[in-house]
Amino acid sequence: MTFVLLAISLIIFYLTRAVLPPTTAAAPYITPRMNDDMKLNVAVSLGLATPSCPSWEAFSTSRAGCVMPVWGQYVGWLRNVLQGNWGYTLLPGISGTETTWYVFASRFPYTAELAIAGALLTIIIGIPLGIISATHNNKWPDHVSRIISIGGYSMPTFWVGLLLQLLFVLYIRINGLGLLPSNGVLDASCAICVANPGQISMFTGVPILDSLLSGNLPYSWDAMIALFLPTVTLALTSIGALTRIVRSSMMEVLRQDYILLARSKGLRERVVIYRHALKNALLPAMTISGLIVASLLGGVVVIELIFSLPGVGNAALVASQVLDLNFLELYVLVTAAIIVIVNLIVDLAYAKLDPRIRY
Amino acid sequence: MRYMRATTDRSRRGSDIRYALHLLRGNPIVLAGTIISIASLIVGLLSGLIVDPNSWKHIDLNLRLCWNNLAIDWHIRNVFVCSGNSYPLGTDAFGRDLLKMMILAIPLDVQIALEVVASAVVIGIAVGGFAAYAGGKIDEVILRVTDVFLSIPSILLAIVLLVIVGRSLTVLTFAVLVTWWPTYVRLVRSQVLSEKEKPYVETLRVLGAGGSRILFGHVIPNSIYPVLVQATMDIGSVILTIAALTFIGFAPSPLIPELGNLANQGIRYFFTAPWLIVFPGLTIFIISLGFNLLGDGVRDIFDPRLRR
Repeated sequence: MTFVLLAISLIIFYLTRAVLPPTTAAAPYITPRMNDDMKLNVAVSLGLATPSCPSWEAFSTSRAGCVMPVWGQYVGWLRNVLQGNWGYTLLPGISGTETTWYVFASRFPYTAELAIAGALLTIIIGIPLGIISATHNNKWPDHVSRIISIGGYSMPTFWVGLLLQLLFVLYIRINGLGLLPSNGVLDASCAICVANPGQISMFTGVPILDSLLSGNLPYSWDAMIALFLPTVTLALTSIGALTRIVRSSMMEVLRQDYILLARSKGLRERVVIYRHALKNALLPAMTISGLIVASLLGGVVVIELIFSLPGVGNAALVASQVLDLNFLELYVLVTAAIIVIVNLIVDLAYAKLDPRIRY
Repeated sequence: MRYMRATTDRSRRGSDIRYALHLLRGNPIVLAGTIISIASLIVGLLSGLIVDPNSWKHIDLNLRLCWNNLAIDWHIRNVFVCSGNSYPLGTDAFGRDLLKMMILAIPLDVQIALEVVASAVVIGIAVGGFAAYAGGKIDEVILRVTDVFLSIPSILLAIVLLVIVGRSLTVLTFAVLVTWWPTYVRLVRSQVLSEKEKPYVETLRVLGAGGSRILFGHVIPNSIYPVLVQATMDIGSVILTIAALTFIGFAPSPLIPELGNLANQGIRYFFTAPWLIVFPGLTIFIISLGFNLLGDGVRDIFDPRLRR
């Protein structure tokens, strides 16, 4: 696990720092008013120039011994990062005053809220759909569920999201207002929203959780309504993978001898499927939860853009325009860390749930 | 002896194909997938003949965002009506015929997807086959490397690459390939591992066949079906990833006729000119659906455990 994260940090660092010339990496931090000494100080403090570098001119012409080698940069960067120092953000509007970590941490709850809601909806719809598909193999429920899962799997995320907006914001209208808001965060301009939801206090940064903790139910209703379309969009595009694997592992389990035994004992079909077959069929589905989490965390970038959510994915798109490398590194590493941790938990849980596997 | 083996092989393959065709006839889903995939390939090949390949460079701002197709009423006020020529799917923000742009875009997307998937399959067979056959430390190292790449969502790594290296179609292709090859390495590796324990491999070894001949002449051809199924389905997923990347603004140029980019150019006018998103998105959906249906059906046909 540590190895994977270290390797990812190395790849990302190498990509962001070694490919670009060192002056490009320093450029966003330099203002026209700075004289050459100040510029050199900036380059040294960013770890781009060696402390012994005589002048800015020597640094910008990449004179030998003046530009810090990538390895040296990486070691310095890693030391900072392990101390929790990710540098300052360059995002417009907040640049220079806030740390990258602060900006990331204040935006991450929105992304987490969307990803968790998407994951829950994926599980709630995906698993039953897979079971129905397997138990009614090659009958119409199977065909319907396969069309839903393959169809959802083949839809461009942005297209689904925007079509849903078109439908619920523009075409289904009540009293001149769209049924649902087109904005992913609290937006009271919809037909079924509460007009004045009031205020909530910040506990976690997650709107739904905070409003419940503050005891403001109208606010939490609005927040949930606002999150509805983004969640459906996210879930629709990731249900397919889960349904497919539940279906195939369920079909495999249903062919086992112990299922035949359970049936010949005269157990009802429902008991056979839900008590005997389901547990074993869900184990292989668990192994792809890492992949599903990866697809959810990748999918949020597009969804945050089209629903104007203030999450980290949207910020990363802005960061990529202003070349805020600190933010991109932090974003990729945290996302990768989440996926690695999910995979680790799955591995441990697998051994716990399946007595045949021992590490 | 050699001749006999060849004929039995051929007749076995022949009956396999006949059986597959028989199953195909009874399976409307696979049939639909086959038709859509072949149709998109044909449109891709012929697009240069249907539409002038350079027409995407022609901008006419007098014709921008107009709609004169009476068959679809968008229920939007203030829709610009095109004068003169008829544009069945309206015009885009640069005054170009959207239908023509989409016809030009199909070969671009399909070509990138085929390039990515074909390269990933080749890398997968070479590296995965090598890992499984070498075993031991080499296998372990290759597995860990795939772990690393599978832990980054493909769209994020692609964004970083496009930001750093620059926006071009080559970088786009490469960026998607970088996150796609590990799946194939793993798939080929697991297939080869299970295949190389079979008795016929031992027989070959006893007969004196070399390692590479056993691997590339026998083991890999015998484990290729799951790889081909995965490849067919991945063509759809790669098209989706490419479209998502260009949609969020990583197209090499705003003018380039690429399905995701066409949609990206329409996002600002979404509530006044929805056709700019609806039709390119629909095209991506249909092509991707075609390849996914084909792959799903082909897997059912070739996987004896899932056969009826």
